[in-house]
Amino acid sequence: MAAVACRGAAPPAPARAQRIVSLVPAVTEMLYAVGAGPQVVGVSSYDHFPPEVETLPKVGALIDPDTERILSLRPDLVVVYGSQTDVEARFKKAGIQTFNYRHGATDAILGTLDTITALGSATGHEAQAREVVVRITTGLDRVRMRVAGLTRPRTMLVIGRLPGTMQGLFVAGGSGFLNEMLETAGGQNVFEDVKRESVQPSSETLLRRAPDVLIELRASQPAGDYQAGDLEVWNTLASIPAVRDHRVHVLVGDLVVVAGPRLAEGAEAIARTLHPDAFK
Amino acid sequence: MTPESSTYLVAHEVSYAYPRRGRSGGLAALSGVSLGVARGSFTGLLGPNGCGKTTLLKLMAGVLRPSNGTVTFQGRVLADMPRRAAARHMAVVPQDTHPAFDYTALEIVLMGRHPHLRPTQLEGPGDLAIARESLESTGTLHLAHRPFTSLSGGERQRVVIASALAQQPEVLLLDEPTASLDLGYQLEVASLLRRLSREHDVTMVMATHDLNLAASMCDALALLRDGRLLRHGLTADVLTAGSVRELYDVEADVHFHQAAGHLTVTPVRRAG
Amino acid sequence: MMTDGTIQTAISASLTPLRPIRTRLALTVAGFGALTLLTCVVAPLIGSSSINLRRAFDSSIPFAGNVDAQILFIARLPRVLAGALVGAALASSGVVFQALLRNPLATPFTLGVSAGASLGAMLVIILGGTLAVGPWSPVPAASLAGAGLAAAIVYALANGPRRVMSTTVLLLAGVTLNAFFSALIVFVQYLANFAEVARAARWLMGDLDVGGFDPILAALPLVIVAALIFVRLPAALNLMGVDPDSASSRGVNVASTQRWAFFSASLATSAAVALAGPIGFIGIVVPHLVRLLVGVDHRIVLPASALFGATFLVACDLLARTLLAPVEIPVGVVTAIIGGPFFLWLLVREG
Repeated sequence: MAAVACRGAAPPAPARAQRIVSLVPAVTEMLYAVGAGPQVVGVSSYDHFPPEVETLPKVGALIDPDTERILSLRPDLVVVYGSQTDVEARFKKAGIQTFNYRHGATDAILGTLDTITALGSATGHEAQAREVVVRITTGLDRVRMRVAGLTRPRTMLVIGRLPGTMQGLFVAGGSGFLNEMLETAGGQNVFEDVKRESVQPSSETLLRRAPDVLIELRASQPAGDYQAGDLEVWNTLASIPAVRDHRVHVLVGDLVVVAGPRLAEGAEAIARTLHPDAFK
Repeated sequence: MTPESSTYLVAHEVSYAYPRRGRSGGLAALSGVSLGVARGSFTGLLGPNGCGKTTLLKLMAGVLRPSNGTVTFQGRVLADMPRRAAARHMAVVPQDTHPAFDYTALEIVLMGRHPHLRPTQLEGPGDLAIARESLESTGTLHLAHRPFTSLSGGERQRVVIASALAQQPEVLLLDEPTASLDLGYQLEVASLLRRLSREHDVTMVMATHDLNLAASMCDALALLRDGRLLRHGLTADVLTAGSVRELYDVEADVHFHQAAGHLTVTPVRRAG
Repeated sequence: MMTDGTIQTAISASLTPLRPIRTRLALTVAGFGALTLLTCVVAPLIGSSSINLRRAFDSSIPFAGNVDAQILFIARLPRVLAGALVGAALASSGVVFQALLRNPLATPFTLGVSAGASLGAMLVIILGGTLAVGPWSPVPAASLAGAGLAAAIVYALANGPRRVMSTTVLLLAGVTLNAFFSALIVFVQYLANFAEVARAARWLMGDLDVGGFDPILAALPLVIVAALIFVRLPAALNLMGVDPDSASSRGVNVASTQRWAFFSASLATSAAVALAGPIGFIGIVVPHLVRLLVGVDHRIVLPASALFGATFLVACDLLARTLLAPVEIPVGVVTAIIGGPFFLWLLVREG
């Protein structure tokens, strides 16, 4: 099932969007990947990739889109989140096409590929979009082949944690994009059975689930010497195999967490962490 | 002023100004008042609203410190005495009491033992016996376990007086103890005070609006107006039609009431 | 001395049923103490999974490889102890704040201490400070600093020229500061990205899963200092609860009592919030339940509330970690779900 839908008031023979505002960083990345970058005239305040977006007007984001600012950019396509229904309605009223993006809880990777295809046709870059999709698919297949037949380590993906403590822990649950990435990379999510996108486990649950590998995903690296000491907090939970066997890793950057064109690279980064020998 | 009064409870040229937030100076409530209270006497403080009665009472209790001048008790400067030590000698009965918590009457009375106990010391059988005596002498023993807030106005005031008695004070300072009571309770509390004053050798100072109450109970009166002491002396000498006019701008008929056994004041009209 | 023969004999018996304060205090502390002890012994034995106690205490298995021992000594025991410490600190500072403000509906958070703590924590979670202070990791350190700032502001505002604090000014300053800090928190969250906001929101729900004894040991000295001050307060708080002026005339140094009460209750609250986040309702539910059971004398209410607060929070946390396992309910949500309706019932009952 496609988790992403293009629901604009687009006529059957779609007008190629020439002026696009994207409120969704993942979609911005996809637009650039399919070659629609020059058509992008505004992005969300969270957009930092590709580097070109830094010079574009920032028009707010999920909770605070600046409608006036967006309208002044005279867009013919606005990319919104699935939950931004009131914003969507506002642009429709203004006669502007919208593209509604939703994270899928199931088949998230497929959904991303579908989104890229749909963006290609909405912007007149069908061929390039197909190329991107094929490149991602083959990239994912390459990762799958590398890890095929290898023991799938029981892994925990940590999305968030209060620095210096074991508190405020958010980890990837058994559904959604990160879970699929982990499976593709040859890992088994220790929270596979908890069908949520994220879980906030207690230390008892951590000890009980006993992951073999622990990967912390961080958008950016904390400054200074703190980082080394910060990982040491895991040493408290010495009976966790990942801690015992020194398999606590940090992946820095948005490569892994953005469901966009770089997801094959993200999957590979996880795979390399889980199965370093397979990539020698 | 008797020689003894000058060594018992004495205000020497006291002034007090209520501080105001963020401003220098303040609201003058009392200026240059000198007043001696004789041991065992019952002194009334009279005057119109805002004349400084309550302030003078609080200064004499050591609850407030004078801005100028001193209050001495048995020759010692009150402001230099620790609060606890002063409270072993003098107790205050406020006009009314609104506890924030649902204490029982007994709990309120036992709190009167506070100055006699160390901060973490719990009251013992001796303290309980004193509390019982205080409840008995104010006729409130049967109310001991009732929540204070469930009592009537008169009962509350008697319990508060019992609490002050449990302090075993030599001086009792009363701030309009009957003002918030209806006539029946007023008489009840008044007769209680009269009895306590007579039987227990407690020196009483009472601020009041009620001229007849003052006439019936007080040996001496101090008249205050606009923060200054107008007159101070024996009740019979001080309570005159002229004084009432001076204090309240009211023409009044002051005469001795045979049945009541004391001076009575009947206001006639506002003075022109 | 004072006698009134007419009623004395008839009623003197009425004081007999009353147990002296010593006995009542001893009975209360023994009763609530036993309950606390029982909770703290039983709670570590129950969890989202079951553990083998014999294995947990088997010293022949190295600790690093003993999951049962690790669950008991890292996941559960610190959690129970943190719950007991935080519960005791919040409940007893609730009692002290209620007496200080002469308002039974005051909470440890009324004067803005927790809002200040939350702002500090938010700043570190969202702006990513990394400065650990002594035994405190960055978030608790910042929340401690925020709590101190809030307390200092309220204190400076309420400490008038008469040196006796105005409870009205205290309350108004606290309410205003709460609103002001909340606005700053919203603003800081607004500037943050989703993951940070989620973590920040999680912190605000309270969490006792401190993952070891170190954070507890960091908070403990502050709570002990507060407790040592608490011990000297109750008699004076009783009198101030009757009337501040008459308290003064009964020998209480009102200004100094207020200052010590404010300082100690703020200290205990700050330590509790820094350790476990702003867990609500403990500071009001527990003192009121205790008053229903043992009366309003602060000399009994204060220790009883500390003990019962410990029991109550440990029990709430037990529910939090087992009810929906392996998913947890934030403990602040559990206390609020129990405390909210109770608080409303209280309002209706007292109004």
